Amino acid sequence: MNLPVTPPDPSTDDAVLVPGAPSIAPAVSERKQARRENWRLIRRRPSFIIGNLIVLVWVICAIGGEHITPHDPLDFRAKVHLPPSSEFWFGTDKTGRDVLSRVMAGARDVLKIAPMAALLGVLFGVILGLLMGYLGKRFDNVMSRIVEAFLALPVVLIALLAITTLGNSSWVVLGVVATLFTPVVARTVRSAVLAERDLDYVTSAKLRGESTRFIMFREILPNVSGPIIVELTVRIGYAVFTISTLSFLGAGPPPPSPDWGAQVSEGYNSISAGIWWTTFFPAMAIASLVIAVNLIADAVQSVMEAS
Amino acid sequence: MLRYLLKRLASAIVTLWLLVTIVFLIVNILPGDIARKILGPFATQESVTAYRHEYGLDLPLWRQYLSSMKNIVTLDFGSSYLQKKPVTDIIFPALVRSGKLAILAFIITIPISILAGIIAARRQDKLSDRAIVNVGLASSSIPEFVSAAVLLSIFCVHWKIGKVFANPPDGTPLLEQLQYLLMPALAMAIAYFGYLARMTRAGVISAQNSDYARTATMKGMSQRDVMRRHVLRNALAPTITVISIQIGYLFGGIIGVEKVFNYPGLGTEMLNAAKGRDIPLLQGAVLVVGLIYMLSTLAADLLIAYLNPRVRLETK
Repeated sequence: MNLPVTPPDPSTDDAVLVPGAPSIAPAVSERKQARRENWRLIRRRPSFIIGNLIVLVWVICAIGGEHITPHDPLDFRAKVHLPPSSEFWFGTDKTGRDVLSRVMAGARDVLKIAPMAALLGVLFGVILGLLMGYLGKRFDNVMSRIVEAFLALPVVLIALLAITTLGNSSWVVLGVVATLFTPVVARTVRSAVLAERDLDYVTSAKLRGESTRFIMFREILPNVSGPIIVELTVRIGYAVFTISTLSFLGAGPPPPSPDWGAQVSEGYNSISAGIWWTTFFPAMAIASLVIAVNLIADAVQSVMEAS
Repeated sequence: MLRYLLKRLASAIVTLWLLVTIVFLIVNILPGDIARKILGPFATQESVTAYRHEYGLDLPLWRQYLSSMKNIVTLDFGSSYLQKKPVTDIIFPALVRSGKLAILAFIITIPISILAGIIAARRQDKLSDRAIVNVGLASSSIPEFVSAAVLLSIFCVHWKIGKVFANPPDGTPLLEQLQYLLMPALAMAIAYFGYLARMTRAGVISAQNSDYARTATMKGMSQRDVMRRHVLRNALAPTITVISIQIGYLFGGIIGVEKVFNYPGLGTEMLNAAKGRDIPLLQGAVLVVGLIYMLSTLAADLLIAYLNPRVRLETK
């Protein structure tokens, strides 16, 4: 596998650890410079710019909420099931609420939970992956088997099972999604760590008598940060994907909430009667956000893998 | 080769065992009385106790675990808590229905995405390549239920090409069933197009730049033959692996698609089982999905070995 990690130079890593040694300055600044260069390349990618613009629109909707929506997303009573018109751009739903306002307000739920869930999942995954990769042996063997079994599970199903019994508060959804992401991230981090653990800088840190924790988090972690950053951006996309699927399947926030997945699940039954707008617009909102996040992830990934 | 096969089978069995154990643990760690949940809040305490006794829910956890393991080894998953029918009688018809959908989705998506991947690789960095890569990115990032809902509103309601209820009445001839199954299958096909096309593209690009491809070209072999005999055989390995892994994911994504199109397949059964905590049904369904996943990854490895003599010799 091709790992997007810059080949570690043992002397530079020693230099970081021994203050006062003459070779520190260039080495540290070199890594910083490479990072700045990467960031500059990422910012220039059209997919990164487009992705961020779309996300920005949804962030504004999420922050503004009912202050900037044209009507009240929860309690506006117009005629039910009005088709899109100049007054109600996206039409009205089965209780006469404005679909546009609900779609705008619905951004808040996803944007609150998805990034947190991804972050938490990556955090746990990194810790587990570092342990599996660095400790190796029996621990790695056992954990790898369990991770593999987890990967064969239909993720959405297990999440649904947990949420229906633990309740569908945002915290539960966040925790469940993070837990389900952990094994996937752990597998990626593990294979990145395996490529590092026998390199000279790790050996020399061991010979210096550094603690296992120090070697894992201060020596290896900075050198596998490339794949971890890629994994984080990809996971945010998956979190939006998973959370909206869950709320579509009935494990999202309860009814009056304008959550996108819940709106699709409320609306799709009336499609056969020709009322497509209550489903179509929230569905497009989900699609646009997931695509935007994935555009950003794609830009990050292609720059990281090229360097 | 035989040793390799046996080793793979042994590890698959261990993984399946873990899979079932994980489901068992999750179901039992989660709080809440299963019997109470199934009988509803108004059932008397006696009937709840009787129910728990009937289904062995009052036994210690390790006894429950052993009996569910015994059931699985004998391929008899017990009977469903909610539907009062043997689990196998529910799972297999549902599996056949979902299987039809899945096979149709693959028939649509595999040739199109492999072809798109090859075209993108051959025209690397040109407009058509950028278009395929970006469409692929978008298609693989949209949740299946979203594309299903959009297809439903456009094709089934606006243009009336497909059916809103995807389940064909009994006795519909196979060709007419297509009309019912096409849209849900298309929703799933869209989700897989992106992964497969991008994977094929990456594989073809790296194989095109290899020494053996260059040698073949310099020997004077036609572009067509270089592609067919040298590049594709090597380039398709990662694509085949991805296809096999997707078969497992397919059954996660199928839940949403089946719900949108009111299709009574395995996804619907799993959804209801998870919501109602119907443990025997859920365990049986997850095991079947896991089994399909294992078999398809195994088949993929064998296919890769068959296509690529280097892999074949290594594993001997």
